Amino acid sequence: MLFSLRELVQWLGFATFELFLHLLALMVFSMLVALRVDEFTRELSWWLVFVPLFAADGLSTYFTAIVSIRLYQDNEKRLAVLRLLWVLTVLSLKLVCEVLLCQKLDQQEQAKDLWFGLIVSPLFILLQLLMIRACRVN
Amino acid sequence: MKMSLAQRVLLSWIFALIFLILLVLKLDSRIHWNWFLIFLPIWTFDSILILMLIVKMAGRCKPDFDPREGEQSLKRRLWYLTALLLKLAFCLTLCSRLEGHTKVWISVVCIPLWVLLGGALIELGYSVFHYRRD
Repeated sequence: MLFSLRELVQWLGFATFELFLHLLALMVFSMLVALRVDEFTRELSWWLVFVPLFAADGLSTYFTAIVSIRLYQDNEKRLAVLRLLWVLTVLSLKLVCEVLLCQKLDQQEQAKDLWFGLIVSPLFILLQLLMIRACRVN
Repeated sequence: MKMSLAQRVLLSWIFALIFLILLVLKLDSRIHWNWFLIFLPIWTFDSILILMLIVKMAGRCKPDFDPREGEQSLKRRLWYLTALLLKLAFCLTLCSRLEGHTKVWISVVCIPLWVLLGGALIELGYSVFHYRRD
């Protein structure tokens, strides 16, 4: 709507299939969150709720590794390294945020000093990186 | 009016940043604002998007409009408008749930979100597997 799919792929540096994967994970995740918050199932721990997001990150890393190896074999070495670095940075920032959030939610009492500013800080870094990348793509 | 990619990114970036900051402050109990106020950047951003869409759709009424190219884009824009309204509905119900105005289940609150995500998945999936077949 605001961005076309082509622009999104260029800007985010993810393939369309990876975007699809992350969206799917988000949908399953939101369903699990709803289940957990409404307390339909008592024994669903927050770590289990976050599994779809972790799985999407893992799969995305796997695809990126394969794509980068293929690019490297095709003698596109610079592109391969750049792509690998970018995607790994984004995914690791996302993962850090998810793990911290999960820990916070799982141990309400013990994690008092883990304030939300700290949890969201990877996202702030990610936002700056995305802004810089948008300028470069343009 | 056509904005460049950097301008559009900047627009979404500013609103995302303000929203994140407000959200963090609220969650850490540094400020005690109403949740509707916290979501103010989201409301503003959505209304800007809806306005832009409506202006574009109103462009069909111009006398020099070529109807042959418009059919596909009209459908697309109607879907975008639906998506935006779904997102708005989700945020509104979420806010009123967080404020405690209603006691509905989160599962009910999330229904617009799931419809929206499902639609987005279908659209994305179509473009993924359409390319594959070519």
